[in-house]
Amino acid sequence: MPKASGLLLDHTMQTVLSVGIDALAYGMVLFVISIGLSVTMGLMRVVNLAHGAFAMIGGYIASYATQMLGFDYGVAILVAVVGTIIIAIPVERFLYRRIYGAPELTQVLMTIGITFCVIGIANYVFGPTLKTIPLPETLRGPVDLGFRSIAAHKLFAIACGVAVAAALWYLIERTSFGVKLRASVDNAAMAASLGVRTRIVYAVSFAVAVGLAAFGGIVGAELLPIEPYYALRYMVTFLVVVSVGGAGSIPGALLACLLLGAIDTTGRYLLPEYGEFFFYLAVIAIVCVFPRGLLGRSR
Amino acid sequence: MKTSILAALAVLALSSTAFADTIKVGVVGPFSGPFAIQGKNFKAGIDAWMALNGAKVGDDDIEIVYRDLPAADPAQSKALAQELVVKEGVQYLAGFYFTPDAMAVTPLLEQANVPLVVMNAATSAIVTKSPLVVRTSFTTWQTSAPMAKVAKERGVKKVITVVSDYGPGVDSENAFKTTFTAEGGEVVDSIRMPLSTNDFSPIMQRVKDSGADAVFAFLPSGPTTLGFVKAYNENGLAKAGVQFLAPGDLTQESDLPALGDAAAGLLTTFHYAVSHDSAENKTFVEAARKAIGNPAELSFPSVGAYDGMHVIYKMIEATSGKQDAQKAVDAVKGLAWESPRGPVSIDAESRHITQNIYLREVAKAEDGSYYNKEIATFEKQGDPGLAALK
Amino acid sequence: MASIENISASTPARSTRPNWLVRDLVGLAVILVVAAIGYFLFPNNLALLTRILGVALLVLSIDLVTGFCGIATLGHAALFGAGAYASGIAAVHFGITDPLLMVVVGAVGGAVAGVVSGAVILRGHGLAQLVLSIAVVHLFHEAANKASAYTGGSDGLSGITPDPVFGIFAFDLWGRTAYGFAVALVVITFIVLRLITRSPFGMLCRGIKEDPIRIRAMGASVQGTLLKMYVISGAVAGTGGALNAISTQVVGLDSLSFTLSAEALVMLVLGGTGSLYGALIGTVSFMWFEDFVSAANPFHWLTIVGALLIAVVLFAPRGLYGTGLSFVERFRGNAK
Repeated sequence: MPKASGLLLDHTMQTVLSVGIDALAYGMVLFVISIGLSVTMGLMRVVNLAHGAFAMIGGYIASYATQMLGFDYGVAILVAVVGTIIIAIPVERFLYRRIYGAPELTQVLMTIGITFCVIGIANYVFGPTLKTIPLPETLRGPVDLGFRSIAAHKLFAIACGVAVAAALWYLIERTSFGVKLRASVDNAAMAASLGVRTRIVYAVSFAVAVGLAAFGGIVGAELLPIEPYYALRYMVTFLVVVSVGGAGSIPGALLACLLLGAIDTTGRYLLPEYGEFFFYLAVIAIVCVFPRGLLGRSR
Repeated sequence: MKTSILAALAVLALSSTAFADTIKVGVVGPFSGPFAIQGKNFKAGIDAWMALNGAKVGDDDIEIVYRDLPAADPAQSKALAQELVVKEGVQYLAGFYFTPDAMAVTPLLEQANVPLVVMNAATSAIVTKSPLVVRTSFTTWQTSAPMAKVAKERGVKKVITVVSDYGPGVDSENAFKTTFTAEGGEVVDSIRMPLSTNDFSPIMQRVKDSGADAVFAFLPSGPTTLGFVKAYNENGLAKAGVQFLAPGDLTQESDLPALGDAAAGLLTTFHYAVSHDSAENKTFVEAARKAIGNPAELSFPSVGAYDGMHVIYKMIEATSGKQDAQKAVDAVKGLAWESPRGPVSIDAESRHITQNIYLREVAKAEDGSYYNKEIATFEKQGDPGLAALK
Repeated sequence: MASIENISASTPARSTRPNWLVRDLVGLAVILVVAAIGYFLFPNNLALLTRILGVALLVLSIDLVTGFCGIATLGHAALFGAGAYASGIAAVHFGITDPLLMVVVGAVGGAVAGVVSGAVILRGHGLAQLVLSIAVVHLFHEAANKASAYTGGSDGLSGITPDPVFGIFAFDLWGRTAYGFAVALVVITFIVLRLITRSPFGMLCRGIKEDPIRIRAMGASVQGTLLKMYVISGAVAGTGGALNAISTQVVGLDSLSFTLSAEALVMLVLGGTGSLYGALIGTVSFMWFEDFVSAANPFHWLTIVGALLIAVVLFAPRGLYGTGLSFVERFRGNAK
């Protein structure tokens, strides 16, 4: 609680700014991790509860690459993203392809099954301990912002969030692939008859979503550490963030992450005891006012 | 048909366990799921005991039957215990990582004529629920209260407590507050945060604003600990000289490699450190590491399990393998021995373990890894939480 | 013979009365026979069987809203837990220890929770609905955690000691009384639900699932009907919760958890939505399988359960019951 002093206003300002920065960083981390899910759920219409599992696979590969193989942080990110996509290809080919267009509950069953399998395998292969991805020297120290210091990796996460948002927006709205993707989603049969190879479009978007999951898993690992249960532990958070933003909308997801990040962080600063209430009441309020999500497309 | 014959045999076996030469011990713990590492430690402790002391007591073979209970789930716990007693015919129940799971089993014990040896669950009240409960782990009060004395000794005047908002967290907060206030210190603010908190920066901001000299924290061991300790460092509290005090759950050995530099210098009070310097511990650690596979995964639940097996073996000796829960429990009341954690005894009245609590500092070993270095000892600590219950 | 093929189809109007009556009596007989077989085959595992029946009530109650009304929910444990806590608190704090009364209290508690969560969840559709249900179950969970003076918080509510049923049958270590009590509850619930789902009200719910706009155009209140169903569903789930509280004599926060909600939904989809039999089959097969593999390998069983779920989607996409039924149908079709 702010102390009563002559500098009250100044102090309050500082606190507000400081909490604001925390909120921004947390929101951006959420965004980087969940945006891949927005792609699968909104554009491919798959309730992909295994999203966290792919983020976790990315994290494990990156951890292994840095700790055991001595790779550089940047190289490890690349290896992990590519590695996760390679693992995901057969999964997409043999499992996901069967549930495109299936009822939501069937998708839930399948993707929860995949999640259970991944958790079990991770526990068996890597053991139940926490795994870390050592940051490079430049991202380790605190950075002085004048009124407070912030961890450099948080600034890095913010930058990643901005970059991912921009790149995705460009890919979907401005490239020919984006046009094909949106066409396939809106009317697969029509798109196919116009010469769009929907199967490939779906496979590529799935790869993009999985790659984003892996990337998010690594960038967010400082806040959400990698361990076998990761895949289930944060599933609800991802699902909530994406739905609040409006599945499939990049700006919507960004807005939702920043908003929920702000609510969560402020709630935890002001009334940590009731943090859960704050967060979920806010979610209910937002969903009731915007049933399709903040910037969801009307169907 | 086959199954019903088997079932009939099982009933037969149950009624004649007194003369059977295999004595079964049912162990319930989190062997999968988010707390799998703690269950793994149960098994390592038990395996280590059996490796060092044999799988026989007198003429009787000892067999361990494991049942998985991934998260706190009292209904499932009761069903498992019932199944172990009725179907598997176990003579002893042991394990139990979470308090509600142990609580759920206590009403069964008398009718089943089975003692319960709690190897972890750390809420003081469990031993009061049935006279057939013995505990070989610790209680949150037992490990948290000495920290208040440490704080006082080190000249800390104002403390802010930050705990996870659930049973053990609240216990820990009460234990510290009660003791620290009695010592003349001041607790300026107490924060309870939801278990699901991921980002601790706003909490650290509160700590900063409170103007306290030290923060006393309790979180369940695991991923949140990592985020919490990192946030403590990154928000400049370590630099500003705000002391970090906590019970040893926060720096359990299996989390230390992940915590790394961030944990250096943290002060914790606890009943066991893998690094404890004694011949008993050396033997134990060697056997337990072999059992667990990856030496970095060994941490405190293993010693609770190891000593739990010690108690169970004594019970079997005292009853010469016959099923008599009350006699078995009576036999270990006041039992004293040299555990890997130091000298311990079972308090005759409460049936909880009396033990040394150590002040430890996270230090860097020669090989660059971190460990809990014991720097002070509070001898023969009982459970202050039981007194607080009254 | 056409009507036999229509157990889960949407045109039950064609079936004639005596036909469905016979069929339901056969179904009921099958349930009783299976319950009796369970008792005699696994006399040492009655605690597990009782627990399965408790969860079966939860799964049935989800089926009422998901299978019959098309409401997607990942938060139904809120109703189950509300029932469990209501009867547990009644026993511990208010001395209501008669098991039948405790069940009534539990059902009422579940129904009240049904009104509250229904009022919130019915405001959304599809994904939004799913998220609302998740938020609701978390709020319930957190509220129970906060009210630890009544609920025991994360340590669980212990000290529930139910009286003997009718003053005669005490709850024993072997769980015989609890099992008999559970079977009776499930059978009664099943009969009531059968009547409800066959009633005009039940038809209306199915109609809403198929085409809410047309139902509205017919002049029926969609929201009102769904809310009513939610209350019924809450009473059923609350009964399950009360059964759980009575048989285990303890209530934990897990009974209000997202995990339980999700697991129960998985069981329902596994068995097949939209049919009471599917709900029962799904619960029994999932929980039995889980118990079996987790006892066989307590350390790595999760992988096997995951593989089972995947296999079901691949080879039995309409759930065990639905796929089994269509298999039988095809067989009949060939025979003709």
